[in-house]
Amino acid sequence: MSTPSYLPPNPLRRGLIEDRTGDACALVIFGASGDLTKRKLMPAVYNLGVSRSLPSGFAVVGVARRELSNEQFRANMKEGVSQFSRRKPIDPAIWSDFERGLSYSPGTFDDPETYTRLRAHLEQLDIERGTRKNRLFYLAVSPADFETIVRNLKQAGLISDAAQERAGGPWTRVIVEKPFGHDLPSSQALNDVIATAFDESQVFRIDHYLGKETVQNLLVFRFANSLFEPIWNREHVDHVQITVAEEIGVEGRGHFYEQVGVTKDIVENHLMQLLCLTAMEPPISLSADAVRDEKVKVLRSLRRMERSMVRDGVVRGQYARGFVKGEEVPAYREEADVAKDSKTETFVAMKLAIDNWRWSGVPFYVRAGKRMARRVTEIAIQFKKVPHSLFNAPDGGISPNVLAVRVQPDEGISLRFTTKEPGNATVLRDVAMDFRYGTAFGSNTPEAYERLLLDAMRGDATLFTRRDEVEEQWSFIDPVFDAWKEQAVAPPTYGAGTWGPEQADDLLARDGRRWRKP
Amino acid sequence: MSGASSGLIGRLEKELQQLWETPGDGTRIARVCTMNIEVVSPSTELLERYAPVIDEVTGSIPARAILAAIEPDSETNEITGAATGVASAENAAKICSERVTLACRGNAAAGAASAIEAFLLPELPTTLVWLGRVHETDPIFEDLANDANRIILDSEYTSVASVIQVASWARKQPNAPQIADLAWTRIATWQEMLARFFDDAATRDLAMKVTKIRIVQASESGARLGPEAALLLGWVGTRLGWKTARLAGAMRFKRPDGGTITVELGSVARPEGVAPHTLATVMVEAGDDAHAPALRGTIERELASGLAEREGTTVDADVVVWKLHREDGTDIEQRVRLRANKAAKWLERTLHRPAIDNAFTESVAFAESIIQDGLTVS
Repeated sequence: MSTPSYLPPNPLRRGLIEDRTGDACALVIFGASGDLTKRKLMPAVYNLGVSRSLPSGFAVVGVARRELSNEQFRANMKEGVSQFSRRKPIDPAIWSDFERGLSYSPGTFDDPETYTRLRAHLEQLDIERGTRKNRLFYLAVSPADFETIVRNLKQAGLISDAAQERAGGPWTRVIVEKPFGHDLPSSQALNDVIATAFDESQVFRIDHYLGKETVQNLLVFRFANSLFEPIWNREHVDHVQITVAEEIGVEGRGHFYEQVGVTKDIVENHLMQLLCLTAMEPPISLSADAVRDEKVKVLRSLRRMERSMVRDGVVRGQYARGFVKGEEVPAYREEADVAKDSKTETFVAMKLAIDNWRWSGVPFYVRAGKRMARRVTEIAIQFKKVPHSLFNAPDGGISPNVLAVRVQPDEGISLRFTTKEPGNATVLRDVAMDFRYGTAFGSNTPEAYERLLLDAMRGDATLFTRRDEVEEQWSFIDPVFDAWKEQAVAPPTYGAGTWGPEQADDLLARDGRRWRKP
Repeated sequence: MSGASSGLIGRLEKELQQLWETPGDGTRIARVCTMNIEVVSPSTELLERYAPVIDEVTGSIPARAILAAIEPDSETNEITGAATGVASAENAAKICSERVTLACRGNAAAGAASAIEAFLLPELPTTLVWLGRVHETDPIFEDLANDANRIILDSEYTSVASVIQVASWARKQPNAPQIADLAWTRIATWQEMLARFFDDAATRDLAMKVTKIRIVQASESGARLGPEAALLLGWVGTRLGWKTARLAGAMRFKRPDGGTITVELGSVARPEGVAPHTLATVMVEAGDDAHAPALRGTIERELASGLAEREGTTVDADVVVWKLHREDGTDIEQRVRLRANKAAKWLERTLHRPAIDNAFTESVAFAESIIQDGLTVS
């Protein structure tokens, strides 16, 4: 039996508080001429450079169909960084060094020659830039291109062996953008395609919500404070509300949105992830798999939606003409590339049940929508009322305590509780203890893509979605769509700038509850 | 406490309350405060120079800062003070902090700790920033340090030995306040960049085969080894298991495998505006053959390059060139910008670091043994 090779840890990293940089690598972006690269990825990479988080051996290679020279690519990227970076203006000393590592390799994704050239180019970069044969492929392309790219990468010998990686050899990782399929079979098919070339440990499915500070803080808040965890259960929590509301409409992406709708665009991924982090059990450690194991358990505990449950427990809607921030906006069906008789939902609300020891009997009400009254993402834990009111006031004068975790905007946490108004009479008043990241820390918070790209370079998959998570998410959502297919009617409309259709209010009213207006 | 000083404290407390009242109706304005910062200086003049540093820090960390100049040798016996609101709109975040400034002179200095503590906000962590030399037997220091969660010193202005003494004292206290050294924070980026030389699988083993390290500081030739250089050497030594030994009275560094490390300490001219003993260059060689190293890594600071004003960019942050040469011909070079070389930034950074830092505790003892040897730079 051969002795497995073992790479000892770098002794100079022991106890080092300074953030670890990414590993030396070449970041290869497929779809480099697209908006995502210019608006999000390149500003994120540049900001990592400014914060000294980029490895010393580093290069970015853009791959796309458009014919561009290296100079044109660099100029495009500089424009993107100038426009979209959170740090402005560009630091010339940093940029001059940074742009030397940017190059472009044009080619169509189905042409093996594209990959032959790419391989030669990467080998050259290993020598010139010290990228150490480590490759981070970013698929900023349509899922329809995944199979072609993955197959060609494999054929070109551009993917290293995961076992050798574990022994300290060069690594290959692939970052995949959502959507991860459009239902369970397509998601499985997509994952199967990726699995033909990549080991699951090499796959980083990005959900940018997980890169947000407030989302990461959920774990800290829950498991680093002894105050809340003892009451974070069915004994004390009445219900949970999760809201992901946007003010914007489809923003010229009518064609895309017609295929997707809010349930697949938001609920299946972002909202489910928020739900998991809220409801999960403490992981045994903060390792990627320990955290993801607990998230998967939540998804598996979600009560599956039978047809009757969809009818009673799910409300969809579609925005009609209305006013957002005082401006009249068109109805969904009036948007470009949207069918006049579209049945695509732009709003969905669901009553979910988690069948496990901690949450049995605690409803999770979730909603997501476009063209709503306000842009807000929050998780609200509503605690049970006091068992007996001593105070003579309507409804006992006592509102239940609510702990609201605001994911965006104005990231923070607030706790609502009841106090006595000053005066001779006993008048009760709700007040909120408000913690806001912006005022408490005031720092220039990294963008979600910065954190996620850095984690991918470091090989830390904690904030990325594992295959079984994605498939569990789809297996929960698919029955909802099956039930909707049987419904001939279009979703009820709601006025743009409101909190959704009346039916959504009824969903909670039936349980004697109501939606928050965050 | 004298009636005069308690009257002063009462007046300042009222002024602090008024800072957060809406003019006219007296309604309290909501605000946030995350810590108490006590700053103690041996002179009013030093405190006045340091006040803008604290204002800058509390512009991003909402806090109540209590700044006190303690001058027991003054001919007047009095405690005077003022309360100020400090607001910052940097990064569009409106942060409001409070600054209480006290001057404790003559015999009244004996009540300085009591006066400072009267202004501490309860339930919030307290950091004591002690400017200048520190003696753990100083009753004012002892009183304040005992109630603080963290004590921040700067070994450049006291000494590494003092830092060790205070750390040793702190460990014996019931609440065991944590000790931080601003010089340690200043070398954090250097530590990270040094670690990078050995991140790669191909160079990882070479970390235990370092044959030579050269540290250059900005100072005149023959100057004492500065705390930054000593702490960096202490950090490398403790991470890599080096031992110090004597040969004919001279200090030698030995690796765990018995190999010898050549330590060279050098200096370069200190440009105007650069602090004394600032780290300038670190070079490390490693391999089986000291004459033909398998790895040579160099970190060179372009001293004062950050002082050139560039609108909108990180002012006062020097550029560093990181270079790695390997025997297989690999040459990698990267230019990065250090953090802004400003007192406020170092303090802010220190406040953001975890309070417990075992690497610091280990390294500072090693550094002290180097400094005690009276090493100078050539």
